[in-house]
Amino acid sequence: MADDPNLPSADVVPVLEARGVTKHYDGVTALDDAHLSVQRGEIHALLGGNGAGKSTLIGIISGANKADLGTILLDGEPITAAGPQATILAGVSTIYQELSLVPALSALDNIFLGRELHRRVLGISVVSDRRRMEETVRELASDFGIASHELHTPVSEFGALKKRSIEIVKALAFDPKVLILDEPTSGLEDAERVSLFEYMRTLRERNVGLVWVTHHLEELVGLADRATIFRDGRNAGTVEVANTSIDQFLTYMFGDQRDEFGAGDTRHLNRLTPLDDAPIVLSARGLNRGSVVRDVSFDVHEGEVIGLAGLAGAGRTEVVRTLMGLDRLTSGTIEVDGRRITPRSSTAAYRAGLAMLPEDRKQLGILADLSIAANISLSRLRTVTWARFWVSARRERALAERYRTRLGIKTPTVTARIGNLSGGNQQKAIVARCLNTSPRLLIFDEPTQGIDVSAKVDVHALIRHHAADGGAAILIASELEELLELSHRVLVLKKGRIVGEIRDIPKSIAAGHFAEIKSKVLALSAAGSAA
Amino acid sequence: MKTSTAVSRLMGTPGLPMTIILIVAVIVFQLLNPIFLTPGALSSYLTNAMPILLLTLGSAIVIIGGGIDLSVGTVAGLSAGTTMWALVAGAPLWVGILVGCVTGLGFGLLNGILVAVFRINDFIATLATLNIAAGLLVVLSQATLLQGVTDEGFAALTRGDVFGIPISFVVAAGIFVLAHLLISKTVTGRRMYAIGISAEAANVAGVSVARSRMFTFVISGLLAGVAGVFLASRLGAVQAFLGIGYEFTAIAGAVVGGIALAGGAGSVWAALIGGLFLATVQQGLRLNNVDPVYFSIVTALAIVFGVIFDRQVRRVLLRGALARTAAALVDRDASSAPASAGRESKEEVR
Repeated sequence: MADDPNLPSADVVPVLEARGVTKHYDGVTALDDAHLSVQRGEIHALLGGNGAGKSTLIGIISGANKADLGTILLDGEPITAAGPQATILAGVSTIYQELSLVPALSALDNIFLGRELHRRVLGISVVSDRRRMEETVRELASDFGIASHELHTPVSEFGALKKRSIEIVKALAFDPKVLILDEPTSGLEDAERVSLFEYMRTLRERNVGLVWVTHHLEELVGLADRATIFRDGRNAGTVEVANTSIDQFLTYMFGDQRDEFGAGDTRHLNRLTPLDDAPIVLSARGLNRGSVVRDVSFDVHEGEVIGLAGLAGAGRTEVVRTLMGLDRLTSGTIEVDGRRITPRSSTAAYRAGLAMLPEDRKQLGILADLSIAANISLSRLRTVTWARFWVSARRERALAERYRTRLGIKTPTVTARIGNLSGGNQQKAIVARCLNTSPRLLIFDEPTQGIDVSAKVDVHALIRHHAADGGAAILIASELEELLELSHRVLVLKKGRIVGEIRDIPKSIAAGHFAEIKSKVLALSAAGSAA
Repeated sequence: MKTSTAVSRLMGTPGLPMTIILIVAVIVFQLLNPIFLTPGALSSYLTNAMPILLLTLGSAIVIIGGGIDLSVGTVAGLSAGTTMWALVAGAPLWVGILVGCVTGLGFGLLNGILVAVFRINDFIATLATLNIAAGLLVVLSQATLLQGVTDEGFAALTRGDVFGIPISFVVAAGIFVLAHLLISKTVTGRRMYAIGISAEAANVAGVSVARSRMFTFVISGLLAGVAGVFLASRLGAVQAFLGIGYEFTAIAGAVVGGIALAGGAGSVWAALIGGLFLATVQQGLRLNNVDPVYFSIVTALAIVFGVIFDRQVRRVLLRGALARTAAALVDRDASSAPASAGRESKEEVR
């Protein structure tokens, strides 16, 4: 059923083809007879909701996982290589959602990691030949905005886009025929996204076949050529992007469920009335932490969502980490509901009524080897215990089941290992963990990163409901649209300081007005003249 | 499908292949020398193994919590020394036992404070306390001759029995059951696993990492103290270098049992099996009159092969079980094919 007969794929041998790929995890079908066909010089989008099987398919194509059934063909020949390294050498490179660079190594060393060119002494290869490695990639690197001196800089000193560029150079250094990009825009600022898209066009001109996984349907238009959509591990269709509306994409992705999440639209809950007179939930005064948080003071009122805006490294995450007691304050005071707290540890912060959804889901969010239920209950274990000490498996399951229904976590059982869930469902479980403490103030750090449209609507609804029910929230989001749509006020940070505040954000953001606010935020975060 | 999932899960259980190896080892040694399974030999074997088993358990708990405790061996040695010293000085039996346990507890607390409060790398911190405990024992044994306890109750700790079961065996069984409950059924145990998987992530989730980490070291120290008391009781005399090198056997026992050094995984059961395996190998060698000079070599080899075997068997069994699961699913899908085909064609009409 896969391809539309009108597409040119019929007579040209696709550079990459997946045939009948099937994969089971612990008895759960992740992929069922999946097909994918990508041409040279094509940007082929891979779409689907959380758990649709996109990541699984990519894992199999890139050699990280083995399929139970099915074949992967490169230029019409089955790939026999086993393992990721061999697959890269065969011509398929992958750029993963999470950056996979070694922070302490230089850009050059990262690019050649595991594939170093060696200098031979007496016929024995002894040392890495840095000069030859640099010559090999210098031109390519400069095409992607990396100057040759930057090749010797440790990766940890670069921002998100530059890291992404290094990953792209790393992927291209060995002339791949196919490049897979798994959510390449996550963590990038708006301007960086635009440059990344330029890079992708350049690659298409170089006749590389690109497979592009994204949850941002609006990014597809004008960039992707075709799209293959998965639903519940099966092919839902392959279409030409130019002839398909966003609405049609959503129908492909979610089928009949699509109508349901229209009801989840909670924009009407956004409040216009100023909340300055509402009781103060959190009051931060003169927060300092070394040079990363400097003299930050703000209040969060009952029913209010405060957005933190700023470029990467502006100190947004650092501010909320000090609130949670994850990093020590050098000075400053924090009050919750009028009571002074000194969060020395996250335990104290949770007890005071704060809860945080961390930015880095894999590293800081989930505890991969524990069950979904154990991940949810962890923030407040005593509610599922006898005598506050013995964990009751039954109560823990019941708690998890409640959240599974409420948040729509897709899993056959709550006792399954959370590491096996798709990103969006992991995120929902971590949200459940936060809600489990009945927090007064919820801190969401990039809550919708890497999750699909329907889960995103759910998370937005949750934030709005939390505020409407008298709670308060702090939101960090790289996407300004998202930030402005959800927040009552936005604080703009730069180099650890609050450099401005955006108030009176209109309820429904009309296109023209929105651009105005957005450019105001951008101007503040870049120029940083104290407003 | 459900049964083969259960099979794959069972075979994936760490330590299960090791249990099989343990049984095979017992059978082999029994065939080599039929004295192996006689009540007398068995009882002396368990009494000999008991202190090391407790140290293995302590190491396992620290490792599950994402740390390492190198000091267990010499702390057990020092605890044996302090117990002996108190009893030789004429203290009542219960005071002597208490002194040994408190010595271990104190060192556990010290390790915990160094690691959790002062954030010194656990490898370095416990390496330091290893040497402090070893040094203190030398000092103590030079000041006092650590032997000649007249209280017969003390020797009875290891030689005596309750209804024919050796006392040390009863104590060990009790401790293992308690430890199992603590680790797998309580809030404390759950937090231990969480910090073992990722201390940072557990901290974000509201777990007090310092407190949980401290707790694992305190438990390990206390177990080393108890082990020391039983060591002293069994040996009747404590020499200056008692306990040195025990940490190797203890940590190796935990690893052989299938507890990952990376932390966050493992069980009391695994520690027990791993510890028993090493004890069995040593007892087997002893009964077959192997020169003790070769003990450490053979033990080390047994550890290496035990771990390799455990991993290989698990991998093979796991793969087999998964293949069966997949086959079952394919069958199921084939039978429901018409339905899914219908669904697909519906979707094509957009």
